[in-house]
Amino acid sequence: MHNDQPTTNTVEEPLDLIRLSLDERIYVKMRNDRELRGRLHAYDQHLNMILGDVEETVTTVEIDEETYEELYKSTKRNIPMLFVRGDGVVLVAPPLRVG
Amino acid sequence: MESQQEPEHLPSGPTEVVNSIRERTIAENSMVVLLQGLQGQVTTVDLKNESTARGRVVNVDAFMNIRLDNVLYRDRRGQLTQLQDLFITGRNVRYVHIPDNVDIMKTIQSQLARIHRVRNFASHGGGRKEFATKTK
Repeated sequence: MHNDQPTTNTVEEPLDLIRLSLDERIYVKMRNDRELRGRLHAYDQHLNMILGDVEETVTTVEIDEETYEELYKSTKRNIPMLFVRGDGVVLVAPPLRVG
Repeated sequence: MESQQEPEHLPSGPTEVVNSIRERTIAENSMVVLLQGLQGQVTTVDLKNESTARGRVVNVDAFMNIRLDNVLYRDRRGQLTQLQDLFITGRNVRYVHIPDNVDIMKTIQSQLARIHRVRNFASHGGGRKEFATKTK
């Protein structure tokens, strides 16, 4: 990151796995049924992240009053550069391949 | 007990550095320094309660508490309110939109340089050193 210690090349702890994804596109699952897909520019130990070219997907479930059917709706929006506060992050992964 | 004083000649206003050593150390070791470098810029902060606040960043502290002014606050229903001054607790922040014209690396580097300048000034002037000097 940006401290004075030299960064190591070995993977020693889970945060190092995120380091491997720097400058790559990643998938971030967040609390409140949100997902982000963007390019990881920076992160810290709290999982605060800077993502570029981000697409945020918010998924909501509507329940039909009569049939009790669950209708899943997702809303997307694009943001050029986003700072994400780490306490909302649930998981970080390479982007999911659409099957 | 902190005996360190902020040097008089450091500019005040959007470029000032926080006075507390503890806050400087916390900020220096996390991405909050980038947000601190956004002082003076107009940004949008998305809050955890699904509302958004767009305004000029006055100050961001190490805990991500943000003060904005000239704010357009949009609540979760979409209702707009104009606020002269808004203080957002760090825990309530979900996202901060970074303006397009911001160079992230330069901003972080200049913030860290500012922190280190204050620290070095204090030790050079005979004040208390924050860390023992390393002997290699």
